Amino acid sequence: MFAYYFSLAVRSLKRNVVLTVLMIVAIGVGIGASMTTLTVFRAMGSDPIPGKSAELFAVQIDNWGPDSSGSTNGKQDRLQNQLSYRDAMNLMQAHPAKAQSAMYASSLALTPANPDLQAFRVHVRAPYTDFFAMFEVPFLYGAPWSSADDAAHAEVVVLTRALNDKLFSGANSVGKSITLDGHDYRVVGVMNDWEPIPKFYDLNDEKFSKGADIYVPFTRAVERHMAIEGNLNCKDNSESGWEGRLRSECVWVQFWAELPTAAAAADYRRFLQNYAAQQQASGRFHWPPRTSIKNVREWLAYEDVVSDEFRILVLVSFSFLFVCLLNAMGLMLAKTMGRARDIGVRRALGADRSAIFAQCLIESGVIGLAGAVVGLLLTGLGLLGLRTMLSRDIANLTHLDVIDVVIVIVLAVSTTLLAGLYPTWRATHIQPAWQLKAQ
Amino acid sequence: MLKMTHLSKAYRTEVVETYALRDFSIHVRPGEFVAVTGPSGSGKTTFLTIAGLLEEFTGGEYQLDGADVRGLNDNQRSRLRNEKIGFIFQAFNLIPDLNVFDNVDVPLRYRGFNGAERRRRIQKSLERVGLSARSKHYPAELSGGQQQRVAIARALAGEPRLLLADEPTGNLDTQMARGVMELLEELHRDGATIVMVTHDPELAIRAQREVHIVDGQVVDLVAQPRLVRSGSQAQI
Amino acid sequence: MQILPILSAMRRNKVGAVLIALQIAVTLAILCNGLFIVQQRLALSHRPSGMVETDLFAIDNEWIGDPTDVSSRIRADLAALRALPGVVDAANTDQYPLTNSGWSEGIDLKADQQTRSAFMSLYMGDEHLIDTLGLRLVAGRNFEPSEILDRGSTDRVQPATIIVTRALADKLFPDGSALGRSIYVEGGKQPTQIVGIVERLQTPWTGTGGWQEKYFEFSVIEPYQFVDTGSWYLVRTKPGQLAAVMQSASKRLLELDRNRLLQKIEPVTDTRVSAYRDDRGLAVILAVVCAALVGVTACGIVGLTSYWVSQRRRQIGIRRALGATRGAILRYFQTENLLIATAGALVGIGLAIAVNLWMVTSFAMPRLSPVWAVLGALLVLVLGQLAVLWPALRAASVPPALATRSA
Repeated sequence: MFAYYFSLAVRSLKRNVVLTVLMIVAIGVGIGASMTTLTVFRAMGSDPIPGKSAELFAVQIDNWGPDSSGSTNGKQDRLQNQLSYRDAMNLMQAHPAKAQSAMYASSLALTPANPDLQAFRVHVRAPYTDFFAMFEVPFLYGAPWSSADDAAHAEVVVLTRALNDKLFSGANSVGKSITLDGHDYRVVGVMNDWEPIPKFYDLNDEKFSKGADIYVPFTRAVERHMAIEGNLNCKDNSESGWEGRLRSECVWVQFWAELPTAAAAADYRRFLQNYAAQQQASGRFHWPPRTSIKNVREWLAYEDVVSDEFRILVLVSFSFLFVCLLNAMGLMLAKTMGRARDIGVRRALGADRSAIFAQCLIESGVIGLAGAVVGLLLTGLGLLGLRTMLSRDIANLTHLDVIDVVIVIVLAVSTTLLAGLYPTWRATHIQPAWQLKAQ
Repeated sequence: MLKMTHLSKAYRTEVVETYALRDFSIHVRPGEFVAVTGPSGSGKTTFLTIAGLLEEFTGGEYQLDGADVRGLNDNQRSRLRNEKIGFIFQAFNLIPDLNVFDNVDVPLRYRGFNGAERRRRIQKSLERVGLSARSKHYPAELSGGQQQRVAIARALAGEPRLLLADEPTGNLDTQMARGVMELLEELHRDGATIVMVTHDPELAIRAQREVHIVDGQVVDLVAQPRLVRSGSQAQI
Repeated sequence: MQILPILSAMRRNKVGAVLIALQIAVTLAILCNGLFIVQQRLALSHRPSGMVETDLFAIDNEWIGDPTDVSSRIRADLAALRALPGVVDAANTDQYPLTNSGWSEGIDLKADQQTRSAFMSLYMGDEHLIDTLGLRLVAGRNFEPSEILDRGSTDRVQPATIIVTRALADKLFPDGSALGRSIYVEGGKQPTQIVGIVERLQTPWTGTGGWQEKYFEFSVIEPYQFVDTGSWYLVRTKPGQLAAVMQSASKRLLELDRNRLLQKIEPVTDTRVSAYRDDRGLAVILAVVCAALVGVTACGIVGLTSYWVSQRRRQIGIRRALGATRGAILRYFQTENLLIATAGALVGIGLAIAVNLWMVTSFAMPRLSPVWAVLGALLVLVLGQLAVLWPALRAASVPPALATRSA
């Protein structure tokens, strides 16, 4: 019977071209609009490192105290979202976690070997070696530097694939030398493409943009006084100079730890509280210890990655879908009731209510499928539009993956079925006698 | 075949209660060709819709092919309609989206026959009414008489026990009407049970017997042997 | 026109009428709020920065290696830039408006305060900065060359004198006595004297919400030459010479010293475009969606009304046979539509205000004035009437002869 109803539906839609087109367009446009925003919304909120997001934790310590004003963080718990240099170093030294890395962002001038080429700016990330293992960064050539390199403030770098392509035409550049800010560094490894979206490990500035071009050991960066990019937040007057900054309570260091089990996480929490308690005891903190660790998902929620603008867009587009469905419902109602006579005839010939129900529902489904196709096309267009109209940040999020396509189809068919529910119900309650009597 | 005893059908509005049928009794035996006549508003159309299980009745008893239909739910009535009754309407009521073949196919689909069985029956019905050559045509492409014959083919395809016809020639000109009536008579000769509602006395004569309704009640039963006309086939 | 008979006739098509009314209501709610946001965002993107943005460009200058004499290099650069043909003035600074990147600090009225009296964004520049940016000095004086000292990004010092914006001056000294008064900046113990007030200079940030909007006009200029690995050179050119000077400036600077990175040379007008790109984008998207919404609702009205007309053809024919004119039939359908649309609009106004209230709490949006909602409702009613025109005209052309046909 399904094939029968399907062919009936197709035939019926073909014979009422205008009405059919209106219905399909109504649904397609609504689906297109809502799926465009939903695709980006999903990408914004998606897990950037599935499989490990529950084992990676951002570390927070209250090193400013309760009466500190001027926090631009604005979070409920009034914790800073970065650590001070002092705390970061203490934690790195104590090494209570399986793997951990302090890091910060910087930028440097890279002078290519070819003297005819202009120097250009590269974005730098300065972590410890554990960064690469923790975040499962894939390597094309070579390997990350060692902890010995960290300790020795070695002049080594890891390149991204893009930078390696630019400088060495994609060849294996391990062992080669590059000049950053007038100093030479040895390449120890080249990363393969690695772009977690959102850039969870550092959500200052652009949250969805590409990461750094080059990686330098934290210890080296600090020794070279590499300028701090991103967010530098100071509590009150600190000493002048780079050394003064390192001693101060200014927060500018991101800190991540790998804690594979719940027990490890619990241990780490205890360790952090103890550490903060020690700082209180030693007189550095004048307040009770307050610390926190948050895994990737918790961290993304805490940092409120999805902008308000986007939430509004999602709401507006789904309201638009709602209006389109109301529209489709009205058109389907008109179509169904316009065919009341035919339905009456079928009932007279022996169709029971469920047969009529099935027939109308399948017709709705066919419309939904057609609407899905139109919707998919419009979603593609919509994403293109978003890409051109919004900042580059968002452009990384405007790609349709397989799941999005499935969602389009499911959404289109299910909402059309829903919209068709009332017209279908009306159809099943058509009194055959009425229809056939009315001459 | 069709036995109604003291049947009544009341329509209640907010203010008034009207009886379309009142203490109505009729007994149609298998193989009979009965015409039901009466002036406009007499209740003959109501009788037909009740006989066809399209409407429920208020009081009395109705037995179709030996089975009491009172208390049957909607699904059961649909089933009974599908298996036992063939409808022929004044307005033909073919589905315009479907061609002749698919129109005759409709009741068979709800019967649950497989593809081969359906095709066999459709071909047989279309041959019976003389329209096998037009099976791919759409109703809009056929004359009134041809459309009515397709409707008759549709009614026959399920091999029903009873044919119910509501003014079968009402929308046809004299020539086509004659052709349709001759077809009905043929079917009767071959053993069909036919109940035909009409207001045209000329048509009523061609049936075996006539039941006359006025104001929802049978007024007089006129039972006479009829001469079944044979002779020239009209061009339809 | 008899309204009651129309209403009772509508009862047969209750659901269809409700569908149209509901579409109109939701459309109105979205339209009001959507267009409100559009207007807001466009207004946001037109906020004056305080600078005269035409004929002004910025150079992102970064020194390669770690030169020790950055101060003299910067001074040499500035001298060279100011001497270029077509240049009106040039200055070196740590930040400029519309870049969404900058330095913010606290201000206190007294030393040793626990909480800050206000927050500001800190511009550093010499006596040329005001003219280069095109700011308007409305009280007091500009800096003297002798007041300008060097300062790096890690130096914790406080200036002796300072220029503030009018908004900041009014915030700190509502009685208007800011000029000449002393304040304490950046958590320092030494007082800083306000020697000048500029009309307007926004902070570098252009975002919405929270402290960005609250402190939008709170800026100060401190008399420092920003001496650091990287800084901004801002150059004001004579009218029409922007492109030429941008070329000659980068050439000249590289001539002076190759050991630098000129990563970005950008007219300030471009900076504005980038800064408000998302706001403009949102405005465009919302406008498009609102237009589409109106289109969809109009189509719905046309579709459903056409269906009703086709259902009632016989009835219309009868009316015409009984003496109704074409105009009467037209008016019938227009009145019917007006009734439905009014019901929808009333619900829509309520919905629009409810949605707005929810957005005020969830997204910290300003309140929508009911005037907008009413105007929107009127707009929607007019659009509804336009949409129903075609099917209503079709109805009016139904011939009276239809009444006599039984089919």
